[in-house]
Amino acid sequence: MKLSTQILLAFAIVILLSIADSYTNYMLSKKVQQDTQFLSKSEAIIRNSNRTHKAIIDMQSSFRGYLLTDDGTFLDSYYSGKRNVPTYLEQQKKLVGNNTAQQSILDSITRMHTYWVGYSSQLIHLRKTMPAAYLLLFQAKQKRQVGKKINDAIAKEFSRFDKVEYAIRKRHSTILMSSIRKTHTFSLIFLLLTVIIGICSAVYIVMLITRRIASMVRLAENISKGQFTIVNDTRNDELTGLSRSLNIMSDKLDKNIRELENRNTELNKFAYVVSHDLKAPIRGIHNVITWIEEDLQDELSLQMKKYLMIIPQRTRRMEALINGLLDYARISPKQPAEKIDTNALIQEIAGSIVPRTFKLEVDNLPELYTERLKLEQVFTNLISNAVKYTPHEDGHIHISCKEATDRYEFSVKDNGIGIDAEYHKKIFEIFQTLREKDGKESTGVGLAIVKKIMDERQETILVKSKSGEGTEFIFTWKK
Amino acid sequence: MKKHAILLIEDDELDIISVERSLKKLESEYELYTAYNGIEALKMLKDNTIRLIPDVILLDLNMPKMNGVEFLGILRADEQLKDIKVFVMTTSSEGSDRSLSEELGISGYIIKPLNYTDNTKRTDSMDAFVQFHLRKILVNENI
Repeated sequence: MKLSTQILLAFAIVILLSIADSYTNYMLSKKVQQDTQFLSKSEAIIRNSNRTHKAIIDMQSSFRGYLLTDDGTFLDSYYSGKRNVPTYLEQQKKLVGNNTAQQSILDSITRMHTYWVGYSSQLIHLRKTMPAAYLLLFQAKQKRQVGKKINDAIAKEFSRFDKVEYAIRKRHSTILMSSIRKTHTFSLIFLLLTVIIGICSAVYIVMLITRRIASMVRLAENISKGQFTIVNDTRNDELTGLSRSLNIMSDKLDKNIRELENRNTELNKFAYVVSHDLKAPIRGIHNVITWIEEDLQDELSLQMKKYLMIIPQRTRRMEALINGLLDYARISPKQPAEKIDTNALIQEIAGSIVPRTFKLEVDNLPELYTERLKLEQVFTNLISNAVKYTPHEDGHIHISCKEATDRYEFSVKDNGIGIDAEYHKKIFEIFQTLREKDGKESTGVGLAIVKKIMDERQETILVKSKSGEGTEFIFTWKK
Repeated sequence: MKKHAILLIEDDELDIISVERSLKKLESEYELYTAYNGIEALKMLKDNTIRLIPDVILLDLNMPKMNGVEFLGILRADEQLKDIKVFVMTTSSEGSDRSLSEELGISGYIIKPLNYTDNTKRTDSMDAFVQFHLRKILVNENI
């Protein structure tokens, strides 16, 4: 699975859980709202119930007051009750809705109230118009306690009605409480799941990426150490592309380096073939000339001898050229650095190539930590060059050094025949020599070797010279 | 006076001449037989082209058909021929050639110089070898 898919999946799970959490909370708030609505309705019902009951009781008290005192003002409450109570009851019926128990209670209250209104208005009417008939009827009714019975029944019905309402309310609040508890539980579970899954997936993805990047870093380190291993990556995601590229790179480097090694081996073989096969015929020619000289002395004319003598000179030069070519081809690859006392190195080199008649002046030279063989090759070739191109009688070679911040600048200076400015570039090309071909052994390889080493090490060399005024070579060497 | 026989196994004409010239300077009586490779040499030894069993064999190593080391192996396995003194003369400086030859038994291993600038008188080195080693065998015995 792709890394981005994994990350997206983890996020999606976390988000889904959060949505679920919010949804449960939303549902709960909706329930609470419904319940609040219900409660306010219930309050209204109870309030209405109290108001109605009170109106009825007021009617009864004003009715009794009128009967006792015969004072018409008492009847105000009675009449207003008579007007209002049916309206109140109608309202209450609407509020109660389809609760059949309460509906039937209200019906029974309406019935009893109507009956009572009939009874009371009859008595009020009699009291006004026929006081004697009224008295009879009143006593009879009083004996049977008609009014009281109705009033008690109505009061009972009201209290029953309120009880039903309170029971409904209680049931509602129980349901609400349990749904709040349930919501809290679910909410907690979702929250925990969100946190756990979030942390786990974060840790998993971080570890996954870290581990894989670490393996690639390891590979890169190995490559820098010259070990061309590969990363095993069986997954198929974005990082796989990277590790595949790294593997290809490692493989290519490995192949290239092996090819370089092969070429190096081939070069050495080539060097051997050159030394063996090219030199053998020259040796043969040389031998034959020697034999002709030794064995056939008497049969040769002077002219023939003169011509024959040219051949050894040329074969000797040919051999020198082959050796020079071999030296150039064999400039060794990178070598381990070591501590070198440059003064001692110069003395060692000079001992074998500077004739005693020369004056060799060497300044105090620094100690270096570098590839010995290369520095030796550079100095050897420059000094031997100075010797070759300086007349023996008053030869003077001066070797000095200047220190710069990151490198040394060595100078090898002679008082020899010098080099004309137009040849200053040419002298560093292989097989370029400014001498006549059969003169002193000079193959034009020495300075080419020096230049090749300079180029390999990214150093610079320059020549200061004029024809007849000596030559100075100045080259840099990194610290 | 006993006549000596020398068998030179060498494919290079120049080296053959070189050996001939040096031997001449010994002023000894000998017969020089020349074979261009190991197979030819074995044939000569077996079908009596050489009348005597040679006192010395001068053996080059790098030769076509059968090289020197192979020849030496066959020679040392042959009852009649196994005691012949053999000098190896070669341009090969490879250690394996030398150790193989020495295991098979040789009287000397001479490396023919390649650079005559180092050793200008190459013919002299052949002379020196002949004087030092072959004189003992070819001349001294007769005194």
